[in-house]
Amino acid sequence: MDSDYEIVDAYDGDSAEDYFSGGDTDMDEGDSIGGFEEDEDDGDNAGYEYGYASDEGSEKTYTVLRESDIRQRQEESISHVSSVLSISRVAASVLLCHYKWNVSQLHDEWFADEERVRRSVGLLSKSVILFPNDSEMTCGICFDSYPRDQIHSAACGHPYCTTCWKGYITTAINDGPGCLLLRCPDPACCAAVGQDMILKLASDEDREKYSRYFVRSYIVDKKKTKWCPAPDCENAVEFELGSNVYDVTCLCSHPFCWNCTEEAHRPVDCSTVAKWILKNSAESENMNWILANSKPCPKCKRPIEKNQGCMHMSCTPPCKFEFCWLCLGAWSDHGERTGGFYACNRYEAGKQEGLYDEAEKRREMAKNSLERYTHYYERWASNQTSRQKSIADLHQMQTVHLEKLSDKLKEPESQLKFIIEAWQQIIECRRVLKWTYAYGYYLPEHETAKKQLFEYSQGEAEAALERLHQCAEKELLVFLDDGVFDINVTPDFGTFRPKLAQLTRVTCSYFENLVRALENGLSEVDSQAASSTSVKNGGAKGKGGKGKGSSRTGRAVARNIDDSDRWNCDRCTYANPDSSSLCQMCHHQR
Amino acid sequence: MTSSSTQSRKVLSKIAQNRLQKELAEWQLNPPPGLKHKITDNLQRWVIDVSGAPGTLYANETYQLQVDFPEHYPMEAPQVIFVPPAPLHPHIYSNGHICLDILYDSWSPAMTVNSICISILSMLSSSTSKQRPPDNDRYVKNCRNGRSPKETRWWFHDDKA
Repeated sequence: MDSDYEIVDAYDGDSAEDYFSGGDTDMDEGDSIGGFEEDEDDGDNAGYEYGYASDEGSEKTYTVLRESDIRQRQEESISHVSSVLSISRVAASVLLCHYKWNVSQLHDEWFADEERVRRSVGLLSKSVILFPNDSEMTCGICFDSYPRDQIHSAACGHPYCTTCWKGYITTAINDGPGCLLLRCPDPACCAAVGQDMILKLASDEDREKYSRYFVRSYIVDKKKTKWCPAPDCENAVEFELGSNVYDVTCLCSHPFCWNCTEEAHRPVDCSTVAKWILKNSAESENMNWILANSKPCPKCKRPIEKNQGCMHMSCTPPCKFEFCWLCLGAWSDHGERTGGFYACNRYEAGKQEGLYDEAEKRREMAKNSLERYTHYYERWASNQTSRQKSIADLHQMQTVHLEKLSDKLKEPESQLKFIIEAWQQIIECRRVLKWTYAYGYYLPEHETAKKQLFEYSQGEAEAALERLHQCAEKELLVFLDDGVFDINVTPDFGTFRPKLAQLTRVTCSYFENLVRALENGLSEVDSQAASSTSVKNGGAKGKGGKGKGSSRTGRAVARNIDDSDRWNCDRCTYANPDSSSLCQMCHHQR
Repeated sequence: MTSSSTQSRKVLSKIAQNRLQKELAEWQLNPPPGLKHKITDNLQRWVIDVSGAPGTLYANETYQLQVDFPEHYPMEAPQVIFVPPAPLHPHIYSNGHICLDILYDSWSPAMTVNSICISILSMLSSSTSKQRPPDNDRYVKNCRNGRSPKETRWWFHDDKA
């Protein structure tokens, strides 16, 4: 079992056992078809690996099947069945369509009671009626007489003329995939009409349709395979049942969840995603006007449309105010240079109770609930938009800029791969971050500790991503600009390279921690009492990127210092330095 | 004019005309027992008197079947309904629609008006109680505006034709 599409499991280094403990029986059954694993060319899909940059734990959990792969598997199943059961390929196709391409079930039932199987699918061993020796025969549909050479019949021998057969077959094909199980028109006869006859008599257009139904029949009703949900994509994905990671990426580069076929949403579970999508569709009318596409500049009040990926906005001159798109606060409060704290992922639900009368309170609650939803929705949607933009930017980078940059710097493109990797990381992280907002919306308000841990992890990850995005988007511009570029800039590129690569690694590591924490249901909070080091070290089996980040906040650096001289907050589990008596995170008393 | 909305239907194809003429000739040559076709010059709509078989719940009762043929008969099934008042039967709705698989999903071009009528007659004869389908009122209400029974997604009450 060897393939190149092993992207999803790269999150977790020690989960290999999981993939092979569960669905053993299913795997065996599938393999008995004849083990047609095909190997893909490495070069084909190198651009589609959106997973975290990680080399370890590359077990396959799924295979993408293109139409040609499906056809090939069908051909092989047909050959196999036809030789094992000693029947024609046409008969084998009929059987396989009836048995939904389940070769082992077909074998079992055939060898248990061949006559019964033959009867039920309509594979007659001999004709029901014998052709008389007349030179003319009467068609059983139009009741006209025809010379023998214009009369056809299935194995049963019921005679129908060419025109009526064509009409019968056309009607069946246009009625849907039921045409794959077509029977003789005689109501009392169950004889199957073989593919050879259908293909011979159908029009080109109908033949095309029939063959499409035939290919689809391989995927439909199979537990292990599903179609890629992307529009116009004709690929299917075969999934190893038993694996608990459902994110797959089709060859068309569409990442989706194999379980619910929504867009990939790890680490958030399918039911939360379904609730969220339903809610969005119900609230979208409200959202449309609340969130029109612009916001006023917090300083000069001119409307601003966001047209770049990262959240760091700069108003046009003369204002030039730099602010955060999400909270509209000054950016100087956000960057690590000023020691500011990136607090944009927080939603403060802080209205005093009891200050309003009953009606006022209800109005206030409705407004709060909408505001709360708006908060999460807006951030969910911003990351979605940002991700789309990043995908376009990556494309632009790969098709235009990379080559130019390679010329300017006199470096081979392979040496500039770190830029591509940075963008792939940004795209993946925007997706994860987006779904964490759906997660946050459904996290119960009263689970204060979990909520704080969540917001902390999310905030750290988000801050790292903003730094990375900013670096990849803005700082790279200098090197892309034709005018100002000269040899003097080259040393700058020498510092840019490790910076971007480092940010990519650090961001990756933050997101791995975030994903892991959410997938555990933030259980560190529960087990905190038992193990004082669980929060900080729980997810540290990683890529060694932690602690090396040159551009992290003081708090993030502190996480990597040995825990012996720290105390863990009872409420939020944050590891505080011994010197402080209030929790730095939630201001809880030691 | 009866309740059917099928007046706007396209005229019969050449193949359909040819086949119906043959069926009509055969019917006149060998009229099936218990069934009487009123000859009109409208080949596209047949109206057939159905007499309940002696010794059954419907003995001495006569009902009218109305059979409308589509352009591509016999590749497509005809629309068959009882002209109200329809017989009281667990598979026949008060608006005349009949729950019988060969009229819809299980239609085959090798079937004829004759074979349909015989199936309906045998459906009447095998009935053990004179009553409407349990969902009669709901179904009939949904069928106002002259909807054709062919537009219904039928769920057949039993497998017997």
